[in-house]
Amino acid sequence: MFDYIALGLFGLVIIMLAAYGYRISAKTAEDYMMAGRTIGVVVMFFFVLFAISSSWTFYGFPGVLYLHGPGYVFFIWGSVAGFACLYMFLGPRLWALSKLNRYLSPVEVLSERYESRALRIMLSVTILAFIVPYVGIQPLGVGRGFEALTGMPLWVGAAYTSVLLVILVILGGMRIVAWVNIFLGTVYITALLGSLFWAVSVIFPEAGLVQAAQEIVVIDSQKLTTPGPLGEYTPVLLIGTFVVGLMAFSWPHVVIGAMTARDKTLFKWFPLLIFIFGGLFFYIIPFIWGSLVAPAALPGITDPAEADRVVQTVIQLYLPRWFAVFVLMGVIAAAVSTAAVQLMTSSIIVARDLIQGVLKPEASDREITTIARYSVAGIVVISLGVTIFVQLGIGEEAMAMYLTDVSVPGFAQWAPALVGGLLWKRGTRQGALAGTGIGVLYLLAGLLITGSDGTRFLLFDLHPVVPTLPVNALVYVVVSLLTPKPSEHIEDIFFTEVEDYLLSDRSAQ
Amino acid sequence: MREIAGHWPGRIFLLVLLLSVVVMAVLVAQGITETDVLLFGWMTMPLVLGIGFILVWLVAYLIYFFHFWPYR
Repeated sequence: MFDYIALGLFGLVIIMLAAYGYRISAKTAEDYMMAGRTIGVVVMFFFVLFAISSSWTFYGFPGVLYLHGPGYVFFIWGSVAGFACLYMFLGPRLWALSKLNRYLSPVEVLSERYESRALRIMLSVTILAFIVPYVGIQPLGVGRGFEALTGMPLWVGAAYTSVLLVILVILGGMRIVAWVNIFLGTVYITALLGSLFWAVSVIFPEAGLVQAAQEIVVIDSQKLTTPGPLGEYTPVLLIGTFVVGLMAFSWPHVVIGAMTARDKTLFKWFPLLIFIFGGLFFYIIPFIWGSLVAPAALPGITDPAEADRVVQTVIQLYLPRWFAVFVLMGVIAAAVSTAAVQLMTSSIIVARDLIQGVLKPEASDREITTIARYSVAGIVVISLGVTIFVQLGIGEEAMAMYLTDVSVPGFAQWAPALVGGLLWKRGTRQGALAGTGIGVLYLLAGLLITGSDGTRFLLFDLHPVVPTLPVNALVYVVVSLLTPKPSEHIEDIFFTEVEDYLLSDRSAQ
Repeated sequence: MREIAGHWPGRIFLLVLLLSVVVMAVLVAQGITETDVLLFGWMTMPLVLGIGFILVWLVAYLIYFFHFWPYR
């Protein structure tokens, strides 16, 4: 009974915050989709950190570390650098452009930059295709937590999370999604860090983490080095994993966050938080859980699905039940905080780019806000379809691998057009269309066409990002150089005006 | 990034970031993460290497963004 009351109260807090957000919102598209461009550095930090710190940091990430040793942490080092790069190099321009021209989505920015409706459709469909299944992974993660803790079927946790998500995003919009992430992030950090300290003090009372490491040396010392006990993480894969992490700068739900900033000073301070609290603190917690505490406390697991939930299993074995419920709340917080931002991003792309940008250009501010809200429910239904698909046992795959093998390569395909559009005056519409189109087709073919033994021979059995992104970028550059350069009008809007604005005091207000 | 690449402090900043990636790749290729040395008795080499990498980026960022960044 305690479980249900605690989870009920937790859900109620989120619903009340969403309702409050609806009451104070300005009911405009800019307010609903961009939080009125009022997000300051602290809120932005929680907003972005917990938009990317999904249930993957509790299940998938420690699960891979448990099975393969510490090599997978290079994904984190790459991601921290990638997020910092987004805010140091691309963020100020993207923010200034969208503020000066009232753009509401990064896809809109690029479609205007390249003067191409076709690109708008291509980017929208591509991003939605890769982000929507990833939304489904979040309810799935919570469902697994429910299942492991309470014995209830997976769909109960998935449905609970989905209902919270729909209410939060429909009512609250981007501002409350960002603000709620402070609450959700605090719950998650407390659960993750608290459980780590408590578990270490209970399981390794003599020497803490040193004792855990010593026990792993006795059980299987390869779990403390690369390439790991299964020989997976060779130097080539470590460097490849780092590069895949670097592509974090192109995750659409993170990119859109830069557009909601209050002023340019955010971009000066934000990397500090990413380096210190993200790289040197937050991600170290699940790393210690997955690479030290869990392998020493519960050795011998070989099944990926069991490894995915090993942290929760250790908590349930060694800590009181009420604390396990609190930790599950933390996982729900992580899942909701990520999925909410992904849902916001998806609904903005549907309403602003596909409906208003292509199908109904005369749609009013109020209409596209309504469409964005309705589309949230549709996206959640599709994402739940993914969850049920997995529940039926078709295409089941470890969570970490879904993120890094499918979603990240998909998100990466708009990176050349994004970077080139913001930084390279010579980048052209034809280049962006050709590069993105070929990159996406190559990726899909590489993922779907496999050999009889499951090898992805079109991708040379490499990580999907490794062959597809260079091809995409090369086509973008070559075709851009072979086609007429963009007009002076575009150069004025996207380079001259933006640089003048960022140099002026106006952009600091 | 255009503003960063447009002056010498910015180019040095970018060079430091790039060099840190190259150095990390070289160390990984040389097998530093394959050694079973544990710093403070529990910190594995992939963790130590990554923390060192983040610290280099942090220091470079602090110096550049707070003293030289044109939009500061």
